[in-house]
Amino acid sequence: MMNTLGLIAGLSTFLGIWLGHVGVRKIEHAAPKLWLPVLLALLLGLICEYLSLQIETIWLSTVFGILGVTLLWDGLELMRQEMRVKKGHAPANPSNPRHINFILEIPAATVQDFLDRDPIGQPVSPDKALQLFPER
Amino acid sequence: MNTFGFLLGLATLFIIGLGFIWVIRGERYFGLLWWPYILGLGFVLIVLSLFLHNDWGSALSGITGASLVWGTTEFKEQAVRTELGWYPFYAKKIQPPFASIIKKWKAPHL
Repeated sequence: MMNTLGLIAGLSTFLGIWLGHVGVRKIEHAAPKLWLPVLLALLLGLICEYLSLQIETIWLSTVFGILGVTLLWDGLELMRQEMRVKKGHAPANPSNPRHINFILEIPAATVQDFLDRDPIGQPVSPDKALQLFPER
Repeated sequence: MNTFGFLLGLATLFIIGLGFIWVIRGERYFGLLWWPYILGLGFVLIVLSLFLHNDWGSALSGITGASLVWGTTEFKEQAVRTELGWYPFYAKKIQPPFASIIKKWKAPHL
């Protein structure tokens, strides 16, 4: 008999990280007020952990335990993502009122996504980095 | 009360946390081109988990494998970050076997 628990745990981990990775970027980009999604992620994470502790079925307890911690982490990452936008390490959204303030008040903030290209194998200056992007 | 999933969640948090470290250090000293080997190791651990009868062993093997597979998708962006000076850039990277072939493949990114 094969033990599918590891496969279920692995899938939960991968999908949890993937969802968080994409979700955090999109939600931070669009949300006018960040505290709401942060609170929601933390709350959902806690609910998952509660369910994980209550459910006796081992594979379900596993899925909720893993998804719960990734959601709790997402709450933290939403705040870290805002820091990245302020530093210009993630693109600011000009149609988001919260981001407009960053663009106007913080010189480092930018609408350019500096990560949206292939590596070239050598360090680049910020000016040269901008030339590496195709015109949009 | 069943603490299995909760404790496993804590272990997952630790394993993902390690992911941040090995992706950054691994990309710096070894480089993006190692991704197929790490991807392969990740899948080996996931397949291995199917044959481990101990639930803790199987789950930890699956989670570690999945974390390795995810890590390979982070390599490309991490390489760009070092080029931008957001992280230290290290030029003398240790090249993997068959680097010239791997260069022609598109590195995974999600």
